[in-house]
Amino acid sequence: MPDSARPLPGQVAVPRDIGFVDWFFDVGTWTDKGGILDSLWETVLLCSIVTIVAVIVSVPIAAALAHFGKAEVSTTWLVSISRAVPTFAIAALLVPWSLRRGWGFEPWPIFIALLLLALVPIYLNTYTAISQVPDGTVDAARALGHSETSILTKVEFALGASVVLSGIRVAAIQVVATEPIRAFLGGDGLGRYVRDGFGQNNDTLVIGGMILIGGLAALTGLIFVLLERIVLPPGVRRLARQQGDRTR
Amino acid sequence: MQHSFPDPESQINASRAAIRLSGVTKEFRGSAEAAVADLSLDIEEGSIVALLGPSGCGKTTTLRMINRLIEPTSGTIEINGTNVADIPAQELRRGIGYVIQQVGLFPHRSIASNIGTVPKMLGWNKKRIAERVEELTSLVGLDHDLLSRYPDELSGGQQQRVGVARALAADPPVLLMDEPFGAVDPIVRARLQDQLLELQSEVRKTIVLVTHDVDEALRVADQIALLNVGGVLEQLAAPDDLMRTPANDFVRTFVGEDRWLRRLHLNLVSSLPHHTGPILPIAATFGEAREVLAAEGVSWLGITEDDVFLGWVQASALDAVEAAGGSLADLERQLPAAQVEPTSTLRSAMELIMVSNTSAAVINEGGKFGGVVTLEGIRRGLAGDTS
Amino acid sequence: MSGAALLGEARNPIIRWEWVYEEWDQIREALLEHLELTMLAMALGLVVSTILAAIALRFRWTMTPITATTSLIYTLPSVAMFALLAPVFGNLSRVTAVLPLAAYTLLILVTNIVAGFQSVPQSVRDAADGMGLSPARRVWSVELPLAMPFIMTGIRIATVSTVGLVTVAAIIGQGGLGRLIFNGLRRAFWTPMTVGALLSIILALMLDALILWIGLLLSPWQRRKKAAA
Repeated sequence: MPDSARPLPGQVAVPRDIGFVDWFFDVGTWTDKGGILDSLWETVLLCSIVTIVAVIVSVPIAAALAHFGKAEVSTTWLVSISRAVPTFAIAALLVPWSLRRGWGFEPWPIFIALLLLALVPIYLNTYTAISQVPDGTVDAARALGHSETSILTKVEFALGASVVLSGIRVAAIQVVATEPIRAFLGGDGLGRYVRDGFGQNNDTLVIGGMILIGGLAALTGLIFVLLERIVLPPGVRRLARQQGDRTR
Repeated sequence: MQHSFPDPESQINASRAAIRLSGVTKEFRGSAEAAVADLSLDIEEGSIVALLGPSGCGKTTTLRMINRLIEPTSGTIEINGTNVADIPAQELRRGIGYVIQQVGLFPHRSIASNIGTVPKMLGWNKKRIAERVEELTSLVGLDHDLLSRYPDELSGGQQQRVGVARALAADPPVLLMDEPFGAVDPIVRARLQDQLLELQSEVRKTIVLVTHDVDEALRVADQIALLNVGGVLEQLAAPDDLMRTPANDFVRTFVGEDRWLRRLHLNLVSSLPHHTGPILPIAATFGEAREVLAAEGVSWLGITEDDVFLGWVQASALDAVEAAGGSLADLERQLPAAQVEPTSTLRSAMELIMVSNTSAAVINEGGKFGGVVTLEGIRRGLAGDTS
Repeated sequence: MSGAALLGEARNPIIRWEWVYEEWDQIREALLEHLELTMLAMALGLVVSTILAAIALRFRWTMTPITATTSLIYTLPSVAMFALLAPVFGNLSRVTAVLPLAAYTLLILVTNIVAGFQSVPQSVRDAADGMGLSPARRVWSVELPLAMPFIMTGIRIATVSTVGLVTVAAIIGQGGLGRLIFNGLRRAFWTPMTVGALLSIILALMLDALILWIGLLLSPWQRRKKAAA
């Protein structure tokens, strides 16, 4: 609740009579120490690390399970349980734990909560991608003398690449979209503009923060669209378009 | 059985119905050629008519125009003289049984409830529906234990039987079947076809059956309407006539070069002109025996006693036995290896003759001798050569 | 929130039961508000997505724009969504909380409703028409029951994620249990925060199980199939 209209130390300080345009399009607003670029960097850094760690953890596990075993049951279970994990509540629960170890508000609670959020779509899509490759194709590869590892990497991954990539895209967008709660958990990042805007009853900051957060999420989606263009061979992209709606 | 149509004035409110298509044309939007072009067809009541043809011949379209799932562009369809366009579509459909290849059972309803769908819509009371469901279950040869199951728990053949039972539920005079046995394996299909014929002998519906399978049409239909691409009727004929006298090259090609062989499936032993062959009663003389052998031009002879077939004897053995002062009864007899019934197909008669390595099969007509079948007799029979 | 003070407050116990006992009314109120926001958002979301799904099923070309729009909404950061509506409807308005929450349910609900109706085999529709069911009766007594498992799955996922998102609505002074979390964080007094966070997780799990159970009740033929498999 906005109990104070004055900026506290460490908060964004913008006089209320400065209009949105004057503030948002001022070079200083972006480049000053503690300005938008700094906040943007904090957010991008955390989100990138979370996504990369999630890929490193999820992809091998999902690929191995899908290739060798039958993890259908655990996969279904994971889908339903993952929806019940509210990122904000998880992060909040981790705050006292982190403080007690002297690690401060940041970055562990928000990092772990976001990581849990990101693991699931990547795991699920990788699992789906690998198990969707027709048995006949895998058998053919085996008959041609491919080793199990080479089947996994050269056949199953190649064919499922677009599905895996779209899982990473969904995860990244969700992470970027959720990261602003960090500002309400004792951290900063782009969410601070909304937080401090509320705190100071300053719509300029609220709107500015909203545009920055929404813009970054949109940009993330765009980057992945380009990435798919570059990484995926045309044949696989055509395949992905045919299967498109199934993996949403 | 007056409950098929709620409207008592309706002329097709009867247990029997004839269907007449007059100049029926269907053009689909965005398609240059008509799906069905000026099709006229008379379907006798109580008969099974197969709409046969390659894909794109409009056979399914034709079928679906009868129950107005598709409306014709022009032309009329009458059931017992009533234009179907004059009957509200849903009322019409409740009075026409409809069976499709994928069966289309309602997965969320029990088998009993599936079968009772139309009676329930017609407002029958529960007791009457339950009785009817029981009756139909027996009629189509389903296990009564299945009634409380869901469709997914049944095999393909069982599901198809439920589909037929459901279509017959309100005892409609007309049954439309769209590739009804296309989705089951050949063995089950043959059994279901036999069952359909058995069923038809009891219920005598007017059945229109769509198929692309020549053998199915030959096997179950009374009349075959062979359609060409664009819904052109090439020939309407009884199965054997279609084989024997194809109207044109299309019919000839479609039914295949082996149509003579197919006719072996269609025609029964009883259809052959009665031919006793080289047969003599046991009391006959050696002179009579030599006469018959010469007339038939064979080297063997059948012996009967009181119209019961005893066996074959070799012509070469006659002289020795006669010289020894014996009678025909003293000849060494071989029992008949090949025996057929009058209801056997010519194909099975031919097969038996081949397998048993003889020249003729004996017709066993209720324990009595009914004549013989020879390969030459079959050839003549199929050629319509009665000489 | 200076470092030294924080370290002191970090020694607060995670949960202090006297507080739970004393503030029980506040906790109950927060829980009920949480439930109320969730249900309001779900009700609104269901109404809107039923309409959207009906349009998408009736006019196939609208499928792509509807999916694109709801997907876009789904990726909008929740903090930004609340921020967007706060100046319009006021900081403390319930509308500000419910609208975004309902908007987030659209993608999942529309996708599942459409998938449900599309899962009805064409042959079943054809058979229904062929037996003379009226279109309304076909939709109501055949297609809807068959689509139900998909629809219930959608409702389940949407409800559970809404429970999680409601906590974020606390940034605009709404948010039921989320308010407890915020209060706790702001004062570095962990008890309300722990209570709020745990209760929101428990609430989500319980609603998940409840809706799963209702879904099974509504589709007995599926239950039988699963038991057989």
